[in-house]
Amino acid sequence: MAHEFQTVATESVGQRIERVDGRDRVAGRAVYAADLVRPNMAFGRTLRSPHAHARIRSIDTSAAMECEGVLAIVTAADFADVPVGATIPMGETGYDMWMVSQLNMARDKVHWVGQPVAVVAARDLHIAEAALALIDVDYEALEPVLDIESAMRPDAPVLHDHVITRGAEPPAHLPSNVCSRTLIRRGTAREAFDAAEATARISVIVDTAHQGYIEPQAMLAEVSADGFATVYTSTQGQFTTELMIARMLDRPQSKLKVVPMEVGGGFGGKIAIHGEAAAVRLAEKCGRPVKLVLSREEILQGGSGPTMGAQIAIEVAADRHGKISAILGTYRVDAGGLPGANPSLMMQASAALYQTEHLWLEGFDVVTNKPRTEAYRGPGGIQGAFSMEQAMDELSLHLGIDPLEFRRRNAAVTGNTMPIGTPFPSIGLISILDAVGEHPCWTTPLAEGDHPRGRGLALGYWRGTSMTSACHVTVGGDGRPIVTMGAVDISGTRTTMTQVAADQFGLSAGDIYVQTGDSKSVGYSDGAAGSRVARTMTAAIVEACGDALEQLRTRAAALMQTTIAEVAYSRGIFSTADGGSITLAELMQETLTAGAIVGRGTSTKLPLGVEIGAHICDVEVDPDTGLVTVLRYTAFQDVGRALNPVAVEGQMQGSVVQGLGWALMEGFDYDNHGRLRNASLLDYRMPTALDVPPIDCVILETPVPNVPYGVRGVGEVPIVPVAACVANAIRRAVGIRTCRMPMTPERVLAAMRASQKQG
Amino acid sequence: MDQIAIVCEVNGERRTVLAHPTDTLLELLRDRLGLSGTKEGCSNGNCGSCTVLVDGAPVNACLVLAQEAPGCQITTIEGVSAPATLSLLQQNLSKLGGTQCGFCTPGIIISAVALLADNPAPTEADIRHAIAGNLCRCTGYDKIVRAIAVTAAQQHSEQGDGDGA
Repeated sequence: MAHEFQTVATESVGQRIERVDGRDRVAGRAVYAADLVRPNMAFGRTLRSPHAHARIRSIDTSAAMECEGVLAIVTAADFADVPVGATIPMGETGYDMWMVSQLNMARDKVHWVGQPVAVVAARDLHIAEAALALIDVDYEALEPVLDIESAMRPDAPVLHDHVITRGAEPPAHLPSNVCSRTLIRRGTAREAFDAAEATARISVIVDTAHQGYIEPQAMLAEVSADGFATVYTSTQGQFTTELMIARMLDRPQSKLKVVPMEVGGGFGGKIAIHGEAAAVRLAEKCGRPVKLVLSREEILQGGSGPTMGAQIAIEVAADRHGKISAILGTYRVDAGGLPGANPSLMMQASAALYQTEHLWLEGFDVVTNKPRTEAYRGPGGIQGAFSMEQAMDELSLHLGIDPLEFRRRNAAVTGNTMPIGTPFPSIGLISILDAVGEHPCWTTPLAEGDHPRGRGLALGYWRGTSMTSACHVTVGGDGRPIVTMGAVDISGTRTTMTQVAADQFGLSAGDIYVQTGDSKSVGYSDGAAGSRVARTMTAAIVEACGDALEQLRTRAAALMQTTIAEVAYSRGIFSTADGGSITLAELMQETLTAGAIVGRGTSTKLPLGVEIGAHICDVEVDPDTGLVTVLRYTAFQDVGRALNPVAVEGQMQGSVVQGLGWALMEGFDYDNHGRLRNASLLDYRMPTALDVPPIDCVILETPVPNVPYGVRGVGEVPIVPVAACVANAIRRAVGIRTCRMPMTPERVLAAMRASQKQG
Repeated sequence: MDQIAIVCEVNGERRTVLAHPTDTLLELLRDRLGLSGTKEGCSNGNCGSCTVLVDGAPVNACLVLAQEAPGCQITTIEGVSAPATLSLLQQNLSKLGGTQCGFCTPGIIISAVALLADNPAPTEADIRHAIAGNLCRCTGYDKIVRAIAVTAAQQHSEQGDGDGA
C-alpha cells in the first residue's frame, strides 16, 4: 500500500520553500568531486609553465617515470592535436576547442605562467609532487606582453602567428595581438556628439578579477577494463564537458560518461574543463582511477582563468533637457593568452538601457601573456557598466538633473531598438525606476557621519541566453513524479524545478523528486550559464509533465472504461463527468507493470528573458585613508516571476557582494614577468562578512510573454551595476572618480589628493 | 616517509590512525578518517572551509599538523549534532537560504557553534565577526547572519521556557 500524497497540495511556485538539497549541505553530507575515494586510486599533479611566454623545445619525462610510485605521465603528445578553428556545439557560435585544448595542455608554446605542460599520476600526492621536479622541460624564453597597451603596439611580440585581426578597417594582413574588432553603430555619433549641448567623457581601467568559487576544481576519472571512461567532476555542464574530453582524446562519446557532482561554486569558471581529459588519459595509461584536485595557488596562478580586465572610454552627449543624443565607446578587453574574449556582450550590455539616435561602439579582443580569461557572472557586464554608468552620472551632474530622473528621460522601453538592432522584448525598466523613486533607500536623506557620505545609483542590463534544456518525467509505483533533468544545479535548480513540477501535477513539492542526470541518462542540455537554466528547464518540465499526464490519462481512460476526452485531471485525481475517479497513486499501482510512463520535454530557442536591475548604495569615504565603507545597499530587479523568492534573493545578494569585492578590493596584480603577485586568498582579498552590509532586495515581476510563468534570468544582472553604483556614490561623497577598478583605498586616496592639488 | 601512529578523539570517539609526519589535521580527517564534511578550499588558512573545533575553539584544520592532535578533542561537522539529526542552527541555515553551493557551510557552522557556545545572545556585529574567517562566495552572508541570529533567539527563548518548567 502506497503512502497517500500530502492530502491538500499546497501552492509551490512563488513560495519560499527550503532547498531540497539543503539538509545534506548543512550536514556536511553533500558529495563533491574531491570527496570521492576509489580503491587503488592514484593522485594527479600538474606541472605548469614558469614562463609567461616561451617556446617548448622538448620535454623529457624519463627521470620522473623512474621515480618509485610514479604510474603515468601525460604531455601534449598524449592528446589530439586540435586545430585552430575547431569547435564543439554551444550557443550561436560554438565553443572554441583549440582554446580548450591549450587551456588543458600547452603544445609547442606556453602563453602564461601556470599553463599546464604535463600531468603526473602517482601512488600518492607526495610522490606526484616530487616527480614534477624531475620532468625536464627545455624552454626558449620569449619576451612577454603583459598589458593591453603594449600588446597593441605595432612592434609588440606576437603571441599567435595565426591571429590576424578580424573586422579591421582597412583589412589586416599581418599577425598581431588584436584578435578582432567589433563594431556596433547607428547614425552619425561623432557628429551628434560634436554638436551636443552637454557632454561627458570617462576612461576607465578594470583589473582582471577571479570568480573565486570556494571549491577548487576537482575530478576523478576511471576507465573500465573494456575501455569505458567515467569522469566525476565539478562542472557547470556535463554534456559540454563530455564533448570537450572526447575531442581532446579523440575518444568516441559512446565510451565516455560525465557524472556532475555537487558544484562548490562556478560563476562561469567551471564551463571549460581544467584537467578532466588528462585525468582520463592517465587513468587509461595506469589502469587505476585517477583523482586530480587543483590547489588554490594553482587556480589563481594560471590554472583556471580569471575574467577579463578592460580599458574602456565612453563619451555621451545630450541636449539641455537631458535627452541623450549620442553614445560613443571604445572597449579594449584583455583576453589573456588565447584569443576569444569577445567584447560584444560588454558593449551591448553597457548601452542597451538608453534610447539614443546615434551609437558608435568599437571593441577589441586583445591577447596578452596572462591566463586565458574565462566567463564570470554576466561576462563583461560589470566592466561595461563601470564605464557607462559613471559617464551617465557625470552627464546628469553636469546638467544638474537628478540621476534617477535622468534615467527616466532616457530609459529604453519595450519595442525600442537594442544595440544589436532588434527590438526590445517586454521589459519593465520604467517600473523599476518608479519603484526606486518610492523606496526609502532613495527618499530617505543621507544621515551625517564621521566622514563624507554619498549615495549612488546605477543600472544594469544583461541579455542572457536560452540554448537547449532537456528532461524527462517518469512516475513511480506510488504515483510520485520523478524528474530527471540535464541541468547541473548551481543555483537551487533542483528546488525551483521541484516547485514547477509540483505545480504542473497539482501535487505538493514534497511529492516530487528532481535529479540531475549524468551525460548518459538524460537528453543533451547546455551548461548552467547565461541565466538560462531556470527559464529553459521550466519550459522543458512543463512540456514533459504535460506529456506524462497525457499518457496517464490514456491509462486512466482504459481503466475507467471511457474515452480519453472524458477524463479530467486535477491535483492527483483523474475523474469523469459521471462521478468516476481514480487517484494518480491508485492508477500507478494498477498499471505499474503495464510499461513505463516517460514524459519528454525539451526547450530550444526560448524567447530571451532579459534581465534589468537598478542599484542604490550609500557609502562613507575616509578622507585620511581612502577607505570606502558601504553603509547601505539596495538592489531592484525585474525577475519576470520569482519561482522561489529565497533563491532569487540569494542570487541577488551573492551577486552584489561579488560585485562589491571587485569594486573595492579584488584585482590581479602581475609582476613584470607575468607572475601573479597575489596568488592566495590572503592577498587576493574577497569580501568577508565584515566587509559588506546587509543587501536589501526588491523583486519586481514583469513577465516575459510566451514563456512558462514568464520567468526571466536572475543570476547575472545583479553583479552588473555594483562597481558603478559604488563609484557614483564615492563621486557624490568626495567629488572624485578613481576610474580604476578595484577602487582600493590607495587609489581613492590618490584621486582625492590629485583633485586637491588641481583645486 | 615512515608513518606515525596518532591517537586522538574525534567527535567523541577515540581513534588511532597512521599518518605522515607532514600530514595536516585536515588530511587526517578527510583522507585517513573519511570525514569528508570538512572542506579544503585554499590549504593555507585563508578561506575557513576546513574550520573544526579543537578543544572547543574554531581552528583551520589545514594549519594544524596531525601530530598536534593527540590529547585534543576534535569536533567536525559530522559531530555537531546527534547522529541522523540536524541541530537548530543547521535547520535554520537550510530553511532560511543560508546555504547555496554548500562548500563553505560546514566551516561556517563550526564557527557559529563556537560563537553561540561563548555568546548565546550575539549582535549582528558579533555574528559577522565570528564568521569573518569563513569566505562564502554565493550568499553575500546576509542569510547566513540571519540564520545564526534566529538560532540564537530561538535557543534563548527555549532556555527561558526551560527555566520556567
